[in-house]
Formats: sequence, C-alpha cells, structure tokens
Amino acid sequence: MGKPRSHKAEKVLERLEKKLNRQIVMSLAACVHCGNCSSSCHYVLANPDDPTYQPSYKADQLRKLFKRHVDWTGRVIPWFVKAKSIYTDEELEELKDVVFGKCTNCRRCSINCPMGVDHATFNRMARGLLVSVGVMPEGVAVVSKDQWEIGNQMGVLKEDYLDTLEWMEEELQEELDIPDIKIPVDKMDCDVVYSINPREVKYDPRTIAEAAKIFHFAGENWTMPSEGWDMTNFGLFSGDDDLGGAVGRRLYEKTEELRGKKLVISECGHGYRSTRCEAPNWGKIDVPFVMESSVDTMLRYIKERKIKVDKNKNTERVTFHDSCNNARSCGLFEEPRELLNLVVTDFQEMYPNRTENYCCTGGGGAMSMSEYTPNRLKSAKIKAEQLKATGAKYVVTSCHNCVDGLTDLIKHYELDMKVTQLVNLVANALVIPEKVKEPEVEKVEVPVEAEAPAEAGDLAGRKILVVDDEPDILTFFSTVLEDNGATVIQASDGDEAIEKVRQEKPDLVTLDLNMPGKDGGQVFEFIRKDEELAETPVCIVTGRPELRRLIYDRPVPPPEGYLDKPVDEETLLRNVRKILAVG
Amino acid sequence: MATFEWEDVKIEVDEDGFMEEPDVWNEKVALALASTEAVDELTEDHWKVVNYLRDYYKQFGIAPMIRKLCKQSGFTLKEIYDMFPSGPAKGACKVAGLPKPTGCV
Repeated sequence: MGKPRSHKAEKVLERLEKKLNRQIVMSLAACVHCGNCSSSCHYVLANPDDPTYQPSYKADQLRKLFKRHVDWTGRVIPWFVKAKSIYTDEELEELKDVVFGKCTNCRRCSINCPMGVDHATFNRMARGLLVSVGVMPEGVAVVSKDQWEIGNQMGVLKEDYLDTLEWMEEELQEELDIPDIKIPVDKMDCDVVYSINPREVKYDPRTIAEAAKIFHFAGENWTMPSEGWDMTNFGLFSGDDDLGGAVGRRLYEKTEELRGKKLVISECGHGYRSTRCEAPNWGKIDVPFVMESSVDTMLRYIKERKIKVDKNKNTERVTFHDSCNNARSCGLFEEPRELLNLVVTDFQEMYPNRTENYCCTGGGGAMSMSEYTPNRLKSAKIKAEQLKATGAKYVVTSCHNCVDGLTDLIKHYELDMKVTQLVNLVANALVIPEKVKEPEVEKVEVPVEAEAPAEAGDLAGRKILVVDDEPDILTFFSTVLEDNGATVIQASDGDEAIEKVRQEKPDLVTLDLNMPGKDGGQVFEFIRKDEELAETPVCIVTGRPELRRLIYDRPVPPPEGYLDKPVDEETLLRNVRKILAVG
Repeated sequence: MATFEWEDVKIEVDEDGFMEEPDVWNEKVALALASTEAVDELTEDHWKVVNYLRDYYKQFGIAPMIRKLCKQSGFTLKEIYDMFPSGPAKGACKVAGLPKPTGCV
C-alpha cells in the first residue's frame, strides 16, 4: 500500500494523462536543464537569488509528476529522472502558487529554448488540472463563473451593455454634430461584426466610441452583436478548454446568426489569440468567416484611403509595447508599427521588442489575482527600465491586459508616462471630412469627383532617386515616375545611392532594403544622420517585410513611406504623391 | 493582506490596496485611500461619485457600470477620469471602499 492520497490529488493524477498531447510530452521530455530560459524570464531577472522562479524549476513541478506517472523512465529509474508524486491538498496549493503566481504564460522563455520546450503550454495545462479540482486563485474562480454564467467576464448584463452602446452613440452624435452616426446592433449581413472586451463597456467605453467613429468615416457596413460580444476568454488563463471553447462558440454562433462576413476583434492580446487561434480547437468548431484584429482593420482603412489621418495631431513621443499573445503567439507585430508610424510623428522603439519584448507583467490573468500583486510589481522592474529608456510620454499597446499591467507598474515605479491604444491614436488623427454645403449661388459646370484622379505630369519639377539592385524595378519605377513628370535618378547599390543622394539632393528617395554592399538600412541611417540630408523623405520598398526591423530598430526617425513588393503603378504613385503632398 | 496606515487611519487592504472590509469605511478612510490615488483633495463632486458608488455597492454587492455612474451622478466620462486619474474601476471604487473589481483590470 502506498501513501494515502487526497481526493483532489487523486483526480489531478487521473486527469494528467488525458491532458497530454504531443507538444506537451515533447516539452516535458526534452528539457536538458541548460538554463537558457532563466535569463529570458522577467521573474528571474527581478529575483535572481530565488531559484523557484526559474522556468526550469517551475517546469519541474509538473515534470516530476509526468515522469512518475506517465513516462517509463520514472518507473525504472525514478531517482535519476527526479520522478515524484503528489499526495496532499497542500501540495496542490503549492503547485497553484507556482503555475498561477510565478508565471504569466508570456512564452518568452520558449523562444529562447534550444530544445523548443513550450513552457507556457504545459503551465497552462497544469492550471487546467488544478482548476478541474477547484484549486485556483479566487479571482480566476469569480471571473470564470461570470464568463460561464452571464456570458462575459465582468458580469455585464445585456440591458446595461445595450444602454452603454446607446450612450456612446449619443455622445458621438453630439461631439461630431452628425445625427446619423450610429452604433448598429444586430444588423444582418454586415461586412464587419465588432467584438470587444467587457472592460471597455463596463469602465471605459471611450474606445467603443472611437472605434465607431473610425467605422463611420470608413463607410464600413458594421454592427455590434447584442450577445456573444465578449472576445476575451478566461479559458486561456485558467487552462479550462471547455470554458475556452464555450466562450468562443458564443461569438462564432452569433456572428453566423447575423451572417457577418468578418469578425473584428478589438485591441486585446489574449482575446485575439483565443478567439482567432485557440477557441476553434478548444471547442472543435469550424469557423466559416474571417477573423482579424482591429489593428489590421484600421491599417487597411488608411491604406485603402477609406479614412484620412493626420499624424501631426499626435506629436508627443510614443513607444510601442508588444503584447505576448499578439507578437509571440500570433505574429502580429509589424502591422501595429506600420499603423503607428502613420498616425504619430515621434515613434521610439523600445528594446528588446517584437517577439523578444518583455511581458507587461499583467499577462496570463495576473491582473485578476490580487494575492500575487507584490510579486508581480517586483518582477516589473525590468519592464519599468525598458519603458523609461525610451523617453516616451505614451506607451501604446494593442492589449487591454497590457494596458492595466503597464498602468499599474507605471504608478508603482513612478514613471512619467501614460498608456494608450492604437484606436485612441487613430481616432485622434482622423481627418473629419468637412460637411458638404449646398452651393448657394450657381452651379459650376466642372466635373468634380470625390477622388479626382491626379493629373498626369503632376510630379513635374520633383527629383526622385530610385534605389534598387534589380534592373527591372529600376526601369519600372523610373518609367512610371517619369511618365508623371518627375526627374528620376537611379542607383543600383548602397554606395551609389549615398553618392547620388549627396550630389543630387533629391526630393524623395525610394529605397530597396536588400542590396549588395551597403544595405538599405545603412543608407537610410546615413541619410537621416546627415545634417543636410536628414529631412529627405524616404520610401522603403522591400519584398521582405521581415526586414523592416532593419529600419525601425535604428535610432533615427522612421521613413515617410513603406511599400511591399510587388508594387503596382497605382500604389507607387499614390504613395509618392502622398509623401510629396502632391494631388 | 496588508495594513494601510495614514494619519490615524488603520485599515486592512488587499495586495492591490483595496479595502478588505468595506463596512469599516468612513470619510476619513476615503481621504486616506484617496492619498494613494493621486487625488489630493476630495471635493463635493468627488463625494457625489463616492457616495453613489457606496450606495450602489450596498444594494447590489458589485461596482456599477460606468454608464450608471455617469447617468446618476450627472458627470461626463471625462469628468470622472479627471477626478480619479486611475479611472472609475481602480480609482473611484478604491476610494469608495469597494473591493477590487473582478476581471482583468
């Protein structure tokens, strides 16, 4: 007879094997304890002398159970593979403090692991095991209950939600003096169904009004659902796949019922990841429509010229914080930068950034677990230093969790900085079209079109340097630009580009990134750092968007334009005209 | 759990600085909590918000929607944010002695 085991411990072990999948088993088996993960984790960096924060230590708390109860090595040589079992409720509580209190599931350690161990994935699994026997922080229990029972994580009732939307609609009508601006609810056959975070409706609905403003001026056919509007998902944090699937299903079913063509998810990292990537798997659901982040939506509106923005309305220095779920888990990190550069004048990158960025420290549901707040704030030291070094007045993030995590640490570390989101900046930069007034005297017989095509030859007198190592591109760009009146100079590598830009002082440079000799990034930095040339507008042209970091990581103001190859005639001209303020 | 002291006020607060026992709240406690929220002075307007939040909480056991707060108190969203820089959830509710709102805030 073995040692007696509590009922909960029994259940946890029973369910362990069922929760395993190939990725988790690989992650549990592959760790070689090299310690690379330690220097990745913000908890370790703030607590260097406490080994219990190390990702490998945290992982071992689950790994020992796996070795003991699943893996064959634990049965044969348990002492060698450190296989151990779990017996009491106290041990479960200890495990809870590790998996909920010492890890935000941000996955920074995973990307630095040479063995590909995905720590956050099995940490989430461990959370799910504990939740299945009722062992979890109180905050997680309360929020999960609300999401199960009321249908959103803050217990917002349907009439209050609808009342708030109506209120925002009235405020917008008043602000803009446009009586027909609407926040449509449950409109059928829309191109966009917009889902939000309950935090927006319960505490700060300004973001809803701002999104509505953008949709309105973009001429979007959009709606908000009366139910199934909460795109956050506590299933991701609690490890409860059933909850995760149920929450996702509500959104998907409502969107289908409304015959919506696209589900747009407001700026929320975990909501985006859960709704777009995870919930279809948790709930085993085929989702027949497209889902996208509102970041993509707003960027598209600007690119397609559905809305006009003026970046001079946002002149204070901003930096961008990548949410772990957006950047590391979903690859959404260039789009927000592209959008940001279109709506602010002074963007300063923080280091490290993109997939290497440090956690906001409020991730993984940490904001709802008060018991761990002191540790959370202590571990935010590295984040605070990272923010401070940018000298920015605003930190922009596309995640509500990050908004709250960052706000908390900014207060704690007394930084002179505010948190904002892209929707706020885009709405602020929006150029509101002047109201069309009825002509009072006489009608002028001139054909006026809303988007009058720019006349050929309107680039006359403009000198443009085209830099590219591909002869076809050089010829194509030159022909198009010359046909429209521009004087074109060509350079086919970096050194020649620098020489020509010095000699000719062009009005605009279109710059390829990947070239022999000095690459486009070096040429760009040279131009920006040269006193005489610094103001020369530069439009980057590249076939490899991942090379953007070559540009945006440089300590100089960002380029005026950015084009992805292949570039067609219309796109080239539109962008050149925009940069030169022609047409 | 921690003890928070300010002048002669001594109360139990959670790790986020919210009151553990909303029943022992009084006006002096509100002043004490306001000192942690970058609210230097509690004006008549502040009290109007705080008292509404308390009444609502006593009745329903949760914090009200911002919509209800604005409607009932007559303040705009912007005015609420001006009065309580951390916002209604973390600022106003804390001063009013409500426990920390649930969810990721």
